[in-house]
Amino acid sequence: MNYDVMVVGGGIGGMESSLKLGDMGYKVLLVEKEPSVGGRMILLSKVFPTLDCASCISGPKMSSTMNHPNVTVASSSEVLAIHPRPDGGFAATVNHHATYVDWAACTGCQECEPVCPVAVPDQFNADLVPRRAVYLSFPQAVPKKVVIERAGTSPCSGECPAGIKAHGYVALAREGRYEEGFQLVLEATPLVGTLGRACYAPCEDGCTRSSVEGSVPIRAIKRFLADRHYAEHDTAGVVVPEPNGRSVAVVGSGPAGLTAAWQLARRGYAVTIFEADDEPGGFLRYALPTYRLPREVVERDIQNVRDLGVTILTGARVEDPVELTGRGFDGVVVATGTPVATPMAIPGEEAAGVASGLAFLRDIRLGRADALAGERVVVVGGGNVAMDAARSAARLGASHVTVVYRRGREEMPAHVDEIEGAEADGVELRHLLAPSEVLVDDEGRVRGLRCVAMRLGEPDASGRRRPEPVLGAEEVVAADRVIAAIGLSPDADALAGALATARGRLVADPLTLQTSFPTVFAAGDVVAGASDITRAAGAGRRAALNLDRYLNGEELGGVDALDGRLPSVEPAAVLARQKSLTEHPRVERGRAEEAAGFREVERTLSEDEVRAGASACLDCGVCSECGSCARACPADAIDFTQRDRVEEVRVGAVVLSTGFTLFPADLKPEYGWGVFPNVITGMQMDRLIAPTRPFNTILRPSDGRVPERIGYVSCTGSRDHTVGNPRCSKICCMYSIKQNQLIMGTLPLADVTMHYIDIRAAGKRYEEFYQQSRDMGAQYIKGRVASITETPEHNLVVRYEDIEHGGAITEAEYDLVVLAVGVMPNPAAAHLFPDHVLELDEAAFVLEPHGDLQPGRTNIPGVYVAGAASGPKDIVDSIAHAGAAVSGVAAYLEAHHAVAAPVLEEVGR
Amino acid sequence: MTALRDTREIIRDEPLMHRPILEALAAGPRTIPEIAEALGRPAHEVVYWVMGMRRYGFVVESPEADDEGFFHYGRKDAR
Repeated sequence: MNYDVMVVGGGIGGMESSLKLGDMGYKVLLVEKEPSVGGRMILLSKVFPTLDCASCISGPKMSSTMNHPNVTVASSSEVLAIHPRPDGGFAATVNHHATYVDWAACTGCQECEPVCPVAVPDQFNADLVPRRAVYLSFPQAVPKKVVIERAGTSPCSGECPAGIKAHGYVALAREGRYEEGFQLVLEATPLVGTLGRACYAPCEDGCTRSSVEGSVPIRAIKRFLADRHYAEHDTAGVVVPEPNGRSVAVVGSGPAGLTAAWQLARRGYAVTIFEADDEPGGFLRYALPTYRLPREVVERDIQNVRDLGVTILTGARVEDPVELTGRGFDGVVVATGTPVATPMAIPGEEAAGVASGLAFLRDIRLGRADALAGERVVVVGGGNVAMDAARSAARLGASHVTVVYRRGREEMPAHVDEIEGAEADGVELRHLLAPSEVLVDDEGRVRGLRCVAMRLGEPDASGRRRPEPVLGAEEVVAADRVIAAIGLSPDADALAGALATARGRLVADPLTLQTSFPTVFAAGDVVAGASDITRAAGAGRRAALNLDRYLNGEELGGVDALDGRLPSVEPAAVLARQKSLTEHPRVERGRAEEAAGFREVERTLSEDEVRAGASACLDCGVCSECGSCARACPADAIDFTQRDRVEEVRVGAVVLSTGFTLFPADLKPEYGWGVFPNVITGMQMDRLIAPTRPFNTILRPSDGRVPERIGYVSCTGSRDHTVGNPRCSKICCMYSIKQNQLIMGTLPLADVTMHYIDIRAAGKRYEEFYQQSRDMGAQYIKGRVASITETPEHNLVVRYEDIEHGGAITEAEYDLVVLAVGVMPNPAAAHLFPDHVLELDEAAFVLEPHGDLQPGRTNIPGVYVAGAASGPKDIVDSIAHAGAAVSGVAAYLEAHHAVAAPVLEEVGR
Repeated sequence: MTALRDTREIIRDEPLMHRPILEALAAGPRTIPEIAEALGRPAHEVVYWVMGMRRYGFVVESPEADDEGFFHYGRKDAR
């Protein structure tokens, strides 16, 4: 593809330029950063001095631009760079932003919007009203297509190793849509209750609120969702899919196996789980203490899997997973975990009072643990199993529990919550001690643990500092029992089949989890070594999806939910969106009132706590990925897999029509915008007057009352040396006069007063328009406004100089004040030319070096400017200026014949 | 003078406020100040929430303002 001209900006200047050039027969590429063309004009109520409806004028021009045979519109796109070429043309880099909506399918019905749980300020309504993360820019948008605003992946979702859309379920919970939140977690794993309790919540570590007053209680919200669902429903509430005619086996029923089975069953597979133990659940049932994860929660999570028709065979040990493929199973997922405890390999380990952490915890879960009343227990190890064992020993009545660990506290692999929990349970932590011998008395009973003092050397392969013995430094820690929890490994006997192994683990491709036998995949700790529940669940999901792909003849690879996430949004970028951030009362994880023994330590949050906690969410990624829009869309148009696309385009000439910006009213703090609710800008008033207004009529933002006294302050941010802008913005007087007339038409009883320096009505029928507003009753007071203050009723006291009455300093009270903010340059155009300097005027508008004789021409040959990018212009002048720019473009093209051979290079991103 | 909360922060609360606002309107339509009083929240924040709810079809305004210049907003399903 190739274009004669690229027009940058789709406002009135850009549209007019494109249409005129298209009419001349030139091929035009119009690049607009917003989803719709139309610029600012389409957002106005009416235009001066005719009071024609802005939409009625702009709409047909937008439609003509979109449908012109010679004009290609690239909306939601941005020009990144423009490089002049030796042939007189240009090479431009254009980024087509992902809209996450298939525009070919989208009908613009907006069914997606009301179900979206994320509200953000609507920039197309001057921030006066919320819009949703999925939105149509405005009702007259061309093209009439919705887009999803995504700043990236919210850090909470990005951190989840199971690919759970944490932001999604938090956003749904905030709105009270608890069942939808529960179902969203189910998309990843059936273990909603388990993860709501026993996950170590990396989501909360990533939460941007952590840098303010503390994380959103994300895990506790998930627990609430699970508990509420389980209290109200007997089943998972998932539609059982049609069988796809294939069957698969899953070996092992821990978190990886259950998640793999769940994912495969949701794809229509007949799934059979083979569990060697007497009951399913693996570590969830036999290792995690009930004070962290009650049995009934595990049962309900496993029931989710059974609800999909999954068969669970217990006491069914599988010696060779490959052999299952010969028994009618189309594929196998091995998820047998790490059920073997690593021995300490020290003298005395075989004594009667020595046990592994796993065996100790299992005995407790099976109700056959000894009471430890009065006994001294030493636990060896610094991981989560060690913490579980130590805390359980304390609950069994041990008189003293000591954890000895060969590294320091900072190196402990246990989660900080578990370490702190152990300390709260009275467990003593002894660091830099390594066991060397279990000491026994004459009767063979444990009496102590001899330990060698350690010190930390250089970091080892794990990144932690390597412990080194201190020669001659030993210590005996008194003990009646020793529990060894120094490591876990897979069951070597169960891996003795045909599958490749290394370092005692199954070998599998890290991306696909396919093993050496093509139809056998492996997931969780049996591949990766001991990790945690959530990582295991993520691995089960990965293995299941790739097994499904393999059986369907598809290419194996990453998983979108795990590997295809957008980069996480930086917390600093999230915080920078707001001028101020209110600290939110932190909702702590609840502690159960009766947390003694093995009863749960935490309690479920109340509904009020959940909603309060969820309301602290900052919507970091904007879109929460809850998927509500996709479910509501009748055209199946939502596409979260879309990504930005970068295109290299060659064009013969360039028209810059990047428009203007408005003076930020908060730079005049004496006028109180952003501080007093009833001080608004002219653009905000234009939205309030427009037929597509954000309110039901013109109302005071402070209380929704119809204003009776409305004051205007002209020249806000223009003709004002105090803000560095001495220029007249040209349009402010006239748009204020226009609004005065429209207000009096909408609110016949309202009094409108304008405080002005001069009325600049230089244009055809402008003066008559001004006089007409006076005749209608608008008051005009000559003199600059010094300040605005607020009364307790949110009325506004304007202090001004009354020049026509002797220059007296006077005050007037209004219900609503409108600041007629000035026009400022748009800095965007200046950065488009890395190889050349696009010259700007003293105010930083695009310079026309010979504007009097060659309007529209910039300092770069072949680059033209149209409309307010070169300085303040009303609509009439913008259109006329576009005509001038277009004639220059045509002359340039004809003179240089700069159109090159068609080239289109997509470099992708 | 109390500093206003950031607009983005106020608007972010809109979905959260649906339920309390609809509960406040259970007995019938109310003005913005009346809703604000029922919620114990600033009226200018309630304007954002009610206008958002109006936009997405949860509430609807009375045909005319009352003598004090206030419209009354009611639950859409109640009309």
